[in-house]
Amino acid sequence: MDIFGSFALLLALVAAVYALVAGIAGILSRRVLLTKSARHAGMAVFGLVTLAVATLEYFFFTDNFSLAYVSSHSNRSLPLFYKFAALWAGQEGSLLFWSWLLSIYGFWALFLNRKRHPELMPWFGVIVAGVQTFFLLLNNFVTNPFHILASADAAGVFHVARVADGNGLNPLLQYPEMVIHPPMLYLGYTGFTIPFAFALAALLGRYPGEKWIHVTRRWTMLTWCFQSVGILLGAHWAYAVLGWGGYWAWDPVENASLLPWITGTAFLHSVMMQEKRGMMKVWNVWLVFVTFLLCILGTFLTRSGVVSSVHAFAESSIGGWFVAFLGLSFLVCLVAWWKNHDYLRSDHELDSLVSRESSFLFNNLVLLAACFAVLWGTLFPVLSEWVTGSKISVGPPFFNRINVPIALFLLLLTGAGPLLAWRRTSLDALRRNFAWPLAGGVAAGVAVFTLGYREFYPLVCLILSVFVVLTIAAEFYRGARVIAQHDGTNLLSAIGELTMRNTRRYGGYIVHFGMVLVFIGIAGSAFNQDVQKEMPPGQSLSIGPYTIVSQDFDNMETPVYQSERATLEVFRNGRSEMMLYPERRFFIASQQPESRVALESSPLRDLYVVFAGRSPDNNQPIIHAYLNPLVKWIWLGGIVVVLGTGLAMLPSRRAVLALRAAAERAPAGEGFAPARVPVVGGASRADSHD
Amino acid sequence: MISATNHGTRANRVAEMRMAAARSGPRLLLPLLALMLLFAPASVAQQTARAKAIGQKLLCMCSCKQGLIACNHVGCTTSRAMLKEIDERVARGDSDDLILQSFVQEYGPTVLAEPPAKGFNWMAWVIPILAPLLALYIVWEMVRRWRRRAGLAPAGGPSVPAELLDRARHESQQESDE
Repeated sequence: MDIFGSFALLLALVAAVYALVAGIAGILSRRVLLTKSARHAGMAVFGLVTLAVATLEYFFFTDNFSLAYVSSHSNRSLPLFYKFAALWAGQEGSLLFWSWLLSIYGFWALFLNRKRHPELMPWFGVIVAGVQTFFLLLNNFVTNPFHILASADAAGVFHVARVADGNGLNPLLQYPEMVIHPPMLYLGYTGFTIPFAFALAALLGRYPGEKWIHVTRRWTMLTWCFQSVGILLGAHWAYAVLGWGGYWAWDPVENASLLPWITGTAFLHSVMMQEKRGMMKVWNVWLVFVTFLLCILGTFLTRSGVVSSVHAFAESSIGGWFVAFLGLSFLVCLVAWWKNHDYLRSDHELDSLVSRESSFLFNNLVLLAACFAVLWGTLFPVLSEWVTGSKISVGPPFFNRINVPIALFLLLLTGAGPLLAWRRTSLDALRRNFAWPLAGGVAAGVAVFTLGYREFYPLVCLILSVFVVLTIAAEFYRGARVIAQHDGTNLLSAIGELTMRNTRRYGGYIVHFGMVLVFIGIAGSAFNQDVQKEMPPGQSLSIGPYTIVSQDFDNMETPVYQSERATLEVFRNGRSEMMLYPERRFFIASQQPESRVALESSPLRDLYVVFAGRSPDNNQPIIHAYLNPLVKWIWLGGIVVVLGTGLAMLPSRRAVLALRAAAERAPAGEGFAPARVPVVGGASRADSHD
Repeated sequence: MISATNHGTRANRVAEMRMAAARSGPRLLLPLLALMLLFAPASVAQQTARAKAIGQKLLCMCSCKQGLIACNHVGCTTSRAMLKEIDERVARGDSDDLILQSFVQEYGPTVLAEPPAKGFNWMAWVIPILAPLLALYIVWEMVRRWRRRAGLAPAGGPSVPAELLDRARHESQQESDE
């Protein structure tokens, strides 16, 4: 059976190489059949990698420990749910999973566009095949998950080893979110290959205009959404499982996931300048190139052991492969740009510094500054050791100090940008649009200041958050009021109508609102409190308005783990509020201990309690309690971001109406005509698409 | 307010378990090992806000590379010893600098959560500030040139025919709205 998986992987590599070589030959020789066969080979990769994945999963589900990978990451008593997730628990399986996701994306893009963009798609197929070939080379020759466990007998003949049970899955991964978090993040990482391939294909094929941006708009948003969800799920997992009371530690692997997300965000904003005004073409192409390269760099950092991280896979020789691929990819991008840069000249140039274009420009600048700061901090220990010969650390205080001001400036632009008009904004319009939101923000700041919350950054964050929320509310209100007056409907249904008429613009505002919630949640961390105390039964500790009383400590045993669980009663104002059960588990197969946090979450604050172990002096249990304000806002913000992105991906009703009108008039020979829709304040430009 | 406990009952239960383990021999070796690990020492509570602030400037040296306060390794003896040392030094009245310096001498500069702003490591702080400023200057200059040029002559178009470009834009707009 393992041969079946290995063979499928090998065939997939052959198909990918064929798609790459035949694709290039087909383009150069202009032979349609060759191009078509290359496309089919590219699509076949998906089927073959799927077979390999199914084979590996079959080994997991049947507890066949003859494979080294299955033996290392599963055991008989592991629940089925986690046996499935064990596919991406280690280096070999996760790279196979990566290849699989990439093949799904590639197949889907090739299939959807099989009859469209005949000049663009052959190049696209070649580029995806190139990336796929690299990962399949790793799958086949460097990190093959189908290695069997074998031992030699006295005669030197190798036999498949009979292993009674496997080592089990890392206990930290035995958590429902860990089944969703890595696929989401990988869907983000691999998904950025699609806009990258379209951009490079458009450049190599000198495809006219912004078509590649229109083609990739939804791909990019979907990918960005996956990456956002992946990052937030990772943060939530760290918060709920690792038991240190926080959700982001600026670990190199966390940073690696943030880098392409930041440049992807910059790209999603700057493409609007190209679509609306034909500007920033070189910038956009390079942004998408850099996003892809950062995905590969992130994978390199996670898997090479070049930077130390709590999340990283075991150190391996795989780094050299990634460096070579990174260098090759950069070279291809550079040469493609150099040979075709005349095609990327702008249609228009900036008319005014007070305009939507300039706000996008600054937005991109700030995002790239944040990206650079994170990259610099992540790689600086390596650079410093190389130059000075001595090791140093770059930890959370550095990243917070550098990135918090940058993030706040970005928050300001989130509110200010949409208020500026394209080309030029008059002083009057500035005053009209900014006065109330700014006054609201300052009023909120003064109110909170008088209540005694005087930390500088959280205060600025609150003022800017209120400012952004009010600007978003004003945008919805202005547009909906016009529709309500025109259609005679109420304001609420007018808001729905307005949103559906320009889903991209108003979906974008909802995403901004979600990000504001995330910012408020992060600002809350400035007011975190924690208390740690020895808590034998009967003892109590106080934190904020709560008193926690230790009741009992129980031992439990399951086939997978043994545990000791604390029973704590939480009182507030003398009244019993809840029971909490923080736990420490010992996983039998992997012989690893782990803590389970007891978490009581509310929009105002989280009561987060960890059973920290027993005192070495007197064997008394130690309870560590944290009071973390506003954390829930981060997760709520994440949900709002996803909903906003989903909305932005829907077709606008105005466009649907326009297309329907055009279709109805076409038989009469009238050609395309725009639908009759009222021009509203919030979307005053009839051709507005943002 | 405080509920009754069954501390004694639990102690009896643990004692019974231990006796049963002794009777069962190697069969229960694993659960016993597990219990031992469950009872592994935990980090000691930070005594003062000052000790906590100092702890936030250091990393745990147990190879986890997490902040000293944040190290969540079950039974991490390194963070326990480091935190205890901070507590003792704070109680002794040592200055923050002296305490940090003593940790650097003991563990090397990697114990500090931020790179010290001296020598080459000064670059860690300066570059993330200089780079955006430089980028801002470049953007500013670019905008100034654009505006000056826009006043003199119309901007040059792309090197594809305008008709083809318009048709492509119209088609792609439709496709993206579908």
